[in-house]
Amino acid sequence: MTSASVLFVRLIVRPLGREPVRTALTIFAVALGVAVVVAIHLAGSAATGSFQSSLETLTGDADYEISAVGGLDEGLLAGLQALPHPLQFFPRIEGYAWLAPDRVSVPVFGFDLIGDRSLDGIARTEDFDLEQLTADDSVWAGSALVPEIGRKLRLTMNDQTREFPVHGILDVSAENGASRSNIVVMDIGAAQRAFGKEGRLDRIEVFVLQHDDRDWESIITAALPEGVTLSRQGSRSDENRKMLSAFRWNVRVLSYISLIVGAFLIYNTIAISVVRRRNEIGVMRALGAGRNAVTMAFLGEAGCLGAVGTAIGIVLGWLMADGAVDMMAATVRSLYVSSTPGEILFTPGSLLVAVASGVGVSLLAALAPAREAASVAPSEAMARGRHETAARIRIGRYLAYASLLAAGSWGAALLDPVGGMPLFGYLSAVLIIAATALATPAMVNALTRLLSPLLRAIFGAQGILAPRSLSASPARTSVLVTALATAVAMLVSVSIMVGSYRDTVIVWLDERLRADFYVRTAGQREARQYPTMDPAVADRIEALPQVEAVDRFRAYEIRYEGRPSIIGSGQSEVLIRHGRLGFLDGSSSKDVLTALGSGDRAIITETFSNRHGLGVGDTLRLPIGGRMVDLEIVGVYYDYSNEGGAVIVDRKTILKYLPDPSPSNLAIYLAEGVDSESARPAIEQAAGSHSVTVADHRTLRTRALEVFDRTFAITYALEVIAIVVAILGMAGALVALVIDRRGEIGVLRFLGASQGQVRGLVLFESGLIGLYSNAIGLLLGSLLSLVLIFVVNKQSFGWTIQFHWPAAMLLGALTFIYGAALIAGIYPARVAARLNPIEVVHEE
Amino acid sequence: MKRAFCIVMMAATAALGFDAARPGYDYQFPRDHFSHPNFETEWWYYTGNLHTRQGRRFGFELTFFRYAVREESAGDSPWNIRDLYLAHLTLSDIESQRFHKTDRLNRAGPGLAGVDAEKALIWNGNWRVQWLEPAMPKGTQRLTAYADEFSLELDLSPLKPPVIHGADGISQKAAGEGKASHYISFTRLAASGSLVLRSETFDVKGLAWMDHEFSTDSLGAEQIGWDWMSIQLDDDSELMLYRMRRSDGTADPHSSGTYIDADGRARHLAWSEIQMTPGAGSDWKSPTTGGVYPLTWKVEIPGLDLDLTGATDLDDQEVVSERRVGPSYWEGAMNFSGQKAGKPITGAGYLEMTGYDKPLELGPEE
Repeated sequence: MTSASVLFVRLIVRPLGREPVRTALTIFAVALGVAVVVAIHLAGSAATGSFQSSLETLTGDADYEISAVGGLDEGLLAGLQALPHPLQFFPRIEGYAWLAPDRVSVPVFGFDLIGDRSLDGIARTEDFDLEQLTADDSVWAGSALVPEIGRKLRLTMNDQTREFPVHGILDVSAENGASRSNIVVMDIGAAQRAFGKEGRLDRIEVFVLQHDDRDWESIITAALPEGVTLSRQGSRSDENRKMLSAFRWNVRVLSYISLIVGAFLIYNTIAISVVRRRNEIGVMRALGAGRNAVTMAFLGEAGCLGAVGTAIGIVLGWLMADGAVDMMAATVRSLYVSSTPGEILFTPGSLLVAVASGVGVSLLAALAPAREAASVAPSEAMARGRHETAARIRIGRYLAYASLLAAGSWGAALLDPVGGMPLFGYLSAVLIIAATALATPAMVNALTRLLSPLLRAIFGAQGILAPRSLSASPARTSVLVTALATAVAMLVSVSIMVGSYRDTVIVWLDERLRADFYVRTAGQREARQYPTMDPAVADRIEALPQVEAVDRFRAYEIRYEGRPSIIGSGQSEVLIRHGRLGFLDGSSSKDVLTALGSGDRAIITETFSNRHGLGVGDTLRLPIGGRMVDLEIVGVYYDYSNEGGAVIVDRKTILKYLPDPSPSNLAIYLAEGVDSESARPAIEQAAGSHSVTVADHRTLRTRALEVFDRTFAITYALEVIAIVVAILGMAGALVALVIDRRGEIGVLRFLGASQGQVRGLVLFESGLIGLYSNAIGLLLGSLLSLVLIFVVNKQSFGWTIQFHWPAAMLLGALTFIYGAALIAGIYPARVAARLNPIEVVHEE
Repeated sequence: MKRAFCIVMMAATAALGFDAARPGYDYQFPRDHFSHPNFETEWWYYTGNLHTRQGRRFGFELTFFRYAVREESAGDSPWNIRDLYLAHLTLSDIESQRFHKTDRLNRAGPGLAGVDAEKALIWNGNWRVQWLEPAMPKGTQRLTAYADEFSLELDLSPLKPPVIHGADGISQKAAGEGKASHYISFTRLAASGSLVLRSETFDVKGLAWMDHEFSTDSLGAEQIGWDWMSIQLDDDSELMLYRMRRSDGTADPHSSGTYIDADGRARHLAWSEIQMTPGAGSDWKSPTTGGVYPLTWKVEIPGLDLDLTGATDLDDQEVVSERRVGPSYWEGAMNFSGQKAGKPITGAGYLEMTGYDKPLELGPEE
């Protein structure tokens, strides 16, 4: 055995073995931290994953695509196909169908099933003839939707629900299987009719047959009319990737919280080990062990704890990933874009993330205490207490560092985002956490001084002993308090942010949802899907005597500066009389809407304004219906419905460029004095056989909030795990504290303290730690929430969130944490109570 | 194995409501160069032998088919189908011994394929024939076609007026009224232009041949296919011959031919005047379809004192529809040599052999 390994066994392995519970708790805390990081890493790739737009699943190996807002005139196709170049152009209709029994929304593609070769090799059929190929009710379906040819699918497309016999199956191929297995394909003419897009195409796919040095992009562009866009294939997926990157970043950053908490715990564990083994270190040093050997031994301990924790964490993370994918996919679907989660793939990258976060963070956290250990002089070994004195002296210096970091955090919060990413916002958050960590000893002392008289008055002897013993070992206590306070702060900050956000949305919904009923096509809609209904439905409803007015809303997907968004149109004359919009500059809703009703004018959402740097008075140039249209911006309004923001024009304006009268949504305002429940049957009857849903504003509000809560489910889940990690760590650290203070406790017992009194003392201490952590966490969390709301949110999403304390929720959470801290003290308290005073004092 | 996207054609309401080719048809040009939707099946066939200045030889085929699926489109949408348009494009690269082939199938759609007499255009995507002066005498046509491996841009100018084959305006294919087609050819088209093969551009010249034929249900029940050839002799005369094969291996007596002399006068050749036989030992078996094709032919027309042997420099010139839409057939560049009136003569042309992989059916399959 080499001397280093002797050292390692003597200093590390044996003590660890003597304290299996504490060792296990530390390892488990690391494991949970790693598990969260791994789960989010895996889920992030899968949920946003392929980043593939579900509409891009069938593009095959097309090189470019041609598109325009509101679709293309199908007459464009002939000219393109006639171009004297080795190019092929295939048309596409795209939409979504609601598959009722499965409650899912599936992409539907219209293909030119005669001329288009891109389905070659993936489509399978039996006895298929031309008549059926092009029939209105014929569909081909992915193998996940229908097991065999001949079955029927009940699909709702736009406002029509029909049975579609399945005439062919799309084979799942290896590379694109998962996404292809959930789609429906029709012939293009049938698809045009199903989606009310007669004469229009959603896209034209371009295949370059001969790849040479010709500049195909400019050759094709030259053949396109103004307002029609050529983009490289996959650019929609690229856009999704860009759009989702902020979301992914934020979730990923949240996942690192548990790890930060874990890092504090590792630091604590090693620090305690060092203090507890000063004797052994002194002896080993006296026997000739070098400083480096001692440092390495303690780093080795951290490495071992980290490695074991990482190994367990990877398995746990893998198990947690499924749930995380579901939660993230729900967020992505409701907030961003319809996308199909991919497979959960454990790549070498995932392993690297796990090891770097688990082992790396452990080693980093252990660095300071390990070097501390190496500084122990052989002669100092027996002199106890010096370390703590030294720590106390440094409190002032730590405070100075803390103020520096706090200043840095303030400065970072003022900086602009980097590439749309609030990197400085994150830095600001990290700095403020570090500042708090450094200021914790001072705060613990201050709190102790503040609380001491009160505690003494209320609790007597325990009230004197507990705070003193805590402030007597500030390094250990502070780290413990910091770990728990960080977790608390995260919970507090995110709760404040989400709570504020939710309140803001509620206020907005209440102001916005002023109509009595809202009508849209049946089925659940995901982000960026805009099915339409027969305009006759709106006309019939408008003609009802109970109805005062109907606002017809129509949305189209647009791209502006490479970001997806929507252009919507409403009837401003209806909105002026019955609705209200909140404008950023406080302009009167009536004035702005009146301006909107005349000419090529638009109002834009706050998010759209922030992202593209546009404001009132600016001109927005958009390709609409194959023409370039200049829209004068007359207002910027608050909106929380869509991440990409929106451009709204008057219905008359959009009809000028895209003369399709089918609305996507209706807002119905009842006549004065008409009871809404009595009007509902008439409205539903007016819809006739069209598959639409009629919802009152309460239902719509509830539904919106459900979506909101689903969106933040993953945030809450991450917070809870961070708290669990912190509490586990605290239990472990308290055990160490107790063992470390064996002598002290022995003396107390020797002096006549009962087992119950000792147990009470330890519980009291953990209660105090809980209290301190809550106080510091609340402070830090409030500061962090400011960073989240006004820096990270503003820079990643651009929403205005009114700051709001979710008081009840915070009170509940803090009480829970305090209770958990007390519970965490139970085991160490029992350990303390069971110490044999004679034996312990004898040791001394 | 890659599974083909297989379209089995709808059951054709055979010939119902469509016109059959009948004697006495009044041909009018340029009208009759374009579409005849009252007939079920129609094609425009361009073949030719080209060469570069350096003598590198190429054969080409560009064919436009129209098959009527029903008499009237079922509705207003341009995507509703009345006719299917199939096109074949091949390039025979003699020197490299490579045969390039590709095809496309379209419905008329919003202008994707079709025949437009007003614009003097026959097209399927960017495979197009633009007649520059459709009215005789000139009738110049511009052929353009772009594919993945090669593209073609050729100007064709007729050196002779169009020929109407057969007798009394019909080219009889089998026994029975209507078992015939209306069949028009440009037998000598001066071709010049360029072709691009894998990014290499060749300036080419040569002679091309154009067939335009329309009919409804013209094959006899016993017929399984045909052998057809076009021969352009270097004394400025041409020969078109076809042999309709019956399932018992014999030739249908309604097979025939046309001789066009140097002045453009056409002479109908009855089957009794023609000897057209595959050479022994020249069989080539297609690895794709399994069809066995005879690649050398003997042609004797005693009435013209003409005796020719035809052979090809490239065995594999089989056109296989990737999606098995329409027939598979062998269609390739040929060389001819022999004697005419006792003097040696040579020529070039094209040979087409159908129904060797399986019995041929014209138009949508039943």
